[in-house]
Amino acid sequence: MSDWSKVTRPIPIPNEWTKPFWEAARRGVLALQRCQACGHFQHPPYATCVSCMAIDLAFEPVSGKGAIYAYTIMYHAGDRRFAAAIPYASIIVELDDAPGALLAGNLLEASYTEAKVGRRVEVVFAPLNDDITLPQFRLAHDAK
Amino acid sequence: MWEHRCKVAVSGVGFSRVTRSAEIPLAAHALEAVKGAVEDSGLAMSDIDGLATYPELPATGHAVVDGITIVSVNCMMAMLKLPNLSWHVQVETVNIGGAVQQAVNALLAGVCRYAVVWRAMHNPRGTYQNLPGTYAQGASQFTAPYGFGGPGQGMAVAYTRWLERHHQNREKMATLAVTQRRHSHMNPHAYFYKVPLTREDYLNSRMVAYPFCLYDCDIPVQGAVAIVLTTADRARDLRPRPAYIAGYGQRLAFEVTGRIGSLSSYMEGGRSSSRLTWERSGFSPKDVDVAQIYDGFSASVIYGLESYGFCKEGEALDFIQDGRMELDGELPLNTFGGSLGTGRIHGLWHIIEGALQASGRAGERQVKDVNVSFVGASAPIVQGTTFIFVKEPY
Repeated sequence: MSDWSKVTRPIPIPNEWTKPFWEAARRGVLALQRCQACGHFQHPPYATCVSCMAIDLAFEPVSGKGAIYAYTIMYHAGDRRFAAAIPYASIIVELDDAPGALLAGNLLEASYTEAKVGRRVEVVFAPLNDDITLPQFRLAHDAK
Repeated sequence: MWEHRCKVAVSGVGFSRVTRSAEIPLAAHALEAVKGAVEDSGLAMSDIDGLATYPELPATGHAVVDGITIVSVNCMMAMLKLPNLSWHVQVETVNIGGAVQQAVNALLAGVCRYAVVWRAMHNPRGTYQNLPGTYAQGASQFTAPYGFGGPGQGMAVAYTRWLERHHQNREKMATLAVTQRRHSHMNPHAYFYKVPLTREDYLNSRMVAYPFCLYDCDIPVQGAVAIVLTTADRARDLRPRPAYIAGYGQRLAFEVTGRIGSLSSYMEGGRSSSRLTWERSGFSPKDVDVAQIYDGFSASVIYGLESYGFCKEGEALDFIQDGRMELDGELPLNTFGGSLGTGRIHGLWHIIEGALQASGRAGERQVKDVNVSFVGASAPIVQGTTFIFVKEPY
C-alpha cells in the first residue's frame, strides 16, 4: 500500500468558479457544477454549460459513488513531494450521478495494484488544512 | 476535393544538432536548422519572405526567455534581418502543424513566396519539468494534489482505459519501440542514431507511469528542425523534388481545460482532423503508402492509427505487428524513427519525413514507390493536425 504520510500535496487555490466545490468538500459533501437549464454535470467547473451554452450554473451534491474510468501507476518521482508514496495510483473517477464529469483522485486504503478500469469506488474526504479538504476515493463493494 | 490541393509544396528541409540538454542557446539550433533548409532548397536567405513557428515551451514551468528557452518569430526576425520579409505568424491553438498550415494559406493568398517554418525545443540542464509549487492554481487544482504532474500521466490514464476496455496487452508496444529505433539507425540526425534497442530492453525497462515504461516516452532533447514551403510552380524550379501538399486538417473538438483521462477527446480530435484531410485530398487510408504518426508518447500512435481510420478501435496494437510497419510492410510507419528515435522535437520532424518520403529523398530509409504520404503531426487530443503529401500532382 502506498505510504501517503510523508507526501506534501500542492494546496488547491479556489477561484470564482471552483470555490463552491471546495466549500462543499470542507463540509464533507461532494458537489459538482450543474447546468440549471439542461441538467448537465461538468467537472472541472467552467464559465458556461459546455453542453447547451447556458450560463445558469449551480453546484449540486452528488452521491460520491462511481467507477474508475482510467488510472496510472506512478513509479517516477516527477514531483519529488510524492516520492515517498511511489508506486501510487492516480485515478480518474466517473460518478454514477454525473456521467461525463471526470474527477481525479488517489486510490486510498488499498494497494495500487487494485486500480482497474471499471472497479467501484466511493468518495472519502481527506483534510489538507483548515480550509481545504480533498475528495479522495476508496474501493466500494456495492453494485451499481 | 480541395481546389488548392498540390498548389503548395515543401521544398528544402534542415536540421540542427540534437543534444541531450542545452549546451548552446536554442536560437543557435534554430538558426542552424533554418539555414540548412534554405540551403537545401538552393535559395538565398534574402529570398525568404515568410516566417512561421509554434514557439511554446515543451515542458511546464520554465521561464520564457526568447532565444534561450523559445525561439519566437521576433527572435528569428532579429537574427535573419530579411530584406524582403512580407509575412509572419505564431500559432497557439494547434502545435507546429498549425504554423505549417498558416504558411500554406499565406502562400495561397500570395502574401509571401518562400516561407520558412521551424520548431525549436529547449531542454534545460537539470529538471525537465518545473512542477507547481506549494499551491495548485487553475485547472491543476483538481489534478496536482493527487500527484498528477509527472511525465506523461495525462496520456497514461487514457492508455489504461484503452488497454483494459479492449483487453489488450502493453507488451505488444515493444514492436513499435524496437521497429522505430531500427528506423532511426538510418537517420543520422536522430538522437538515437545507431543506438540499439531490443525487445528485451523494452520489456525489462523501468516503469515511469504505468502503462508507460521508459521506452514509451520520447527523450527530452535540445534541437531544432525547419522547412521551406513555396508555391508548386516555384518549387519546381528549386533543387529538391517538391513534396506537394494534397490536403490538411486540424482537430475541431476541445473538451474543458483540465479534463484528463478522456479517451474520446483523442478520438474526436483525430477523427475531425483526418476527415478534413481525406475529404480535401480525395484519398482514404487504404491509399496511403507511408505514414508518420506523432509519438511523443507511444500510445499517441494507437489513437492516431484508429482515429485517422487506418484500423478499427481497439486493434492498433495488433495492426502494428507482423512486419506491417516495416519499411517494406503494408503501412511503413515513423520511418525516420519517430520522436522515440530522434528525441523530442515535436511534429515538424514527422512533417519533414512525410515530405521527404513523398519526394523520394529519404535516402537509405526511402519506402519504394511512394506517392501518398500521410502525417499526423501531433497528439490528436488538443494539438492534432494531419497532412497528405504526394509525389505527383493531380
